[in-house]
Amino acid sequence: MTLATLRGSLRFRLLLGTLFWIAATILVAGWGLGNMFRQHVELQFHAELKTHLDQLTAQLTLDGQGQPTLVMPLSDPRLNKPFAGLYWQIDGLASPGLPAIPALMRSRSLWDQVLRVPADTPASGEVHQHRITGPQGEMLGMAERSVRIDALPLRLIVAADEGLMIEPVARFNKELWLALGVLGLGLALAALVQVFVGLAPLRKLRAALGRVHRGEAQRMEGTFPAEIMPLVEEFNTVLARNAEVVERARTQAGNLAHALKTPLSVLANAAGGKDDALARLVTAHVEMARRQVDYHLARAQAAAAVRLPGARTPLEPVVDGLVRTMRRIHAGRNLELVAQPMPASLAFRGDAQDLQEMLGNLLDNASKWASRRVEIDAGIEQDRLVIRVDDDGKGIAAEQREAMLRRGVRADQQVPGSGLGLAIVDDLARMYGGQVVLANSPLGGLRATLILPAAQ
Amino acid sequence: MRILVVEDEPTLAAQLAEGVREAGYAVDVAHNGLDAHFMGDTEPFDAVVLDLGLPQMDGITVLKKWRAAGRTMPVLILTARDNWHEKVAGIDAGADDYLTKPFHMEELLARLRALIRRAGGHASAELVCGPVTLDTRNNRVTVEGRALTLTSHEYRVLAYLMHHAGEVVSRSDLVEHIYAQDFDRDSNTVEVFIGRLRKKLPPGLIETVRGMGYRLANPQ
Repeated sequence: MTLATLRGSLRFRLLLGTLFWIAATILVAGWGLGNMFRQHVELQFHAELKTHLDQLTAQLTLDGQGQPTLVMPLSDPRLNKPFAGLYWQIDGLASPGLPAIPALMRSRSLWDQVLRVPADTPASGEVHQHRITGPQGEMLGMAERSVRIDALPLRLIVAADEGLMIEPVARFNKELWLALGVLGLGLALAALVQVFVGLAPLRKLRAALGRVHRGEAQRMEGTFPAEIMPLVEEFNTVLARNAEVVERARTQAGNLAHALKTPLSVLANAAGGKDDALARLVTAHVEMARRQVDYHLARAQAAAAVRLPGARTPLEPVVDGLVRTMRRIHAGRNLELVAQPMPASLAFRGDAQDLQEMLGNLLDNASKWASRRVEIDAGIEQDRLVIRVDDDGKGIAAEQREAMLRRGVRADQQVPGSGLGLAIVDDLARMYGGQVVLANSPLGGLRATLILPAAQ
Repeated sequence: MRILVVEDEPTLAAQLAEGVREAGYAVDVAHNGLDAHFMGDTEPFDAVVLDLGLPQMDGITVLKKWRAAGRTMPVLILTARDNWHEKVAGIDAGADDYLTKPFHMEELLARLRALIRRAGGHASAELVCGPVTLDTRNNRVTVEGRALTLTSHEYRVLAYLMHHAGEVVSRSDLVEHIYAQDFDRDSNTVEVFIGRLRKKLPPGLIETVRGMGYRLANPQ
């Protein structure tokens, strides 16, 4: 499939659109959720620092020597484990008569290290937050406040490794993207299924149209979704109207034939039997007019029928009807008319009357020329319907055969009937994309082979 | 032999009637389907020439009704629509042959003769009974090769007897088959024709079966 046909595919367009929106939604959702979680964890981190700072403040007192000391050690075990990531430190601030003493007290977790804090003196009651480099080079989040105990100015510091905050965020993000990935995959699969299921009626529509085209159905059969049903109904209406137009054209052609031929009969009978110039002129031109009417009627009817889709005519009933008719018409001649057994599935992709016309003319012609026997055989050859009509008559010389298929040429003026027979058959067959082939018959006479489009 | 001609176009109907009458048959004419059906149903015709495009009731329907009622006379269909669809429909409705318009009167008569002959079980156009030969193609009667001159009524009587050679033919049968419907029928005239024929034919050929009718002796 080329890119151009892909772009023209409804399925491709629906899929592309859906997949784009799924991807966009998942990306935005992932980014938003990750951000929210990180903010939440940060808030918690800072709240924890503040809690530790409050605890430190509450436990701070002065001992007998006026040195700061803790009433009780802080409870978090990480404060007693070296470099566990949670630290506190108390600096003595510079005041009149006293120099600044960093790390007056510190947690055991700091071991021999001192937190290097920016020079900053929060006003009383304020808590300042900073980021500093920890004892092992890691980034620490830090909270500090200033207190004064008995005029001794102190700075209380609590710091924690930011890794404690980053690690759960990273873990959460990993799981979040995994879950969103699974969700996206599921949605994409669902979209795929939806597109295929949603577009299934279109495949059904195509199959129904195909049956009409192949001549297996006269109209589109089956129920379709509400969105497609009006289309199908419209199409069936058009098909029905086509069939109606063809039928009307047929009837009109028949009426015209009737209207023309009765006066022609009157003229022919009035002139018949007389032997003067006028009678001969009338007779000759009545015959000519009759041939013209026959020829153009046959063509007009066929032209109408060929444009009618969905026509399918089983062969066997047509052959049976014609054989019955031939036997009756040629009853006085003791002819043997034999139709070889043929599968009931053989069918012509076209109109029943046209098939009758073609086959009727071939059979009538064969019956007129046969001395005793006419055989009909049919089958499918190279996907085409092939019907052979053999007779045991005199046959036609090879050089005359071409002429027989041309308009109005008769091999023998003595044999009654229309000289148009074979020419009309060939004309009709050609309108259907088929043809008539004349050859020698194994029975000794003529073999006329009618090749037509077959219907499944 | 009595023929029913069914044709709605008056000129053509007249031409047909004239042509058939000239060929030695008694002719009745119907101009629409209803009349045709009634006549064919009630009168004994030896053959029918039936146009298919008829007012009031179409030819195919008329034919089907006859056949359904058990009327077996041979029917020659006359149609303007020269297609096999209609021919097959006609034959399936019970027709014996068809002819498309425009047609030659000679061809129509030839088909008619063939139908009547086949209906009587005769293979040849010449009917032979002892020394008498009747050629249906030209209405010629010969006795041992010698041509016989007959009036049209005498010919009809003899032709009917020869088509039914060996069978007893009642006087009323003869009347119904040699006269058209509108003719002033008189069964006594049949005896007159029989009497004249007996004078022209070899003695003993036409037997009288007392109380029943006539019979041609020595059939072949």
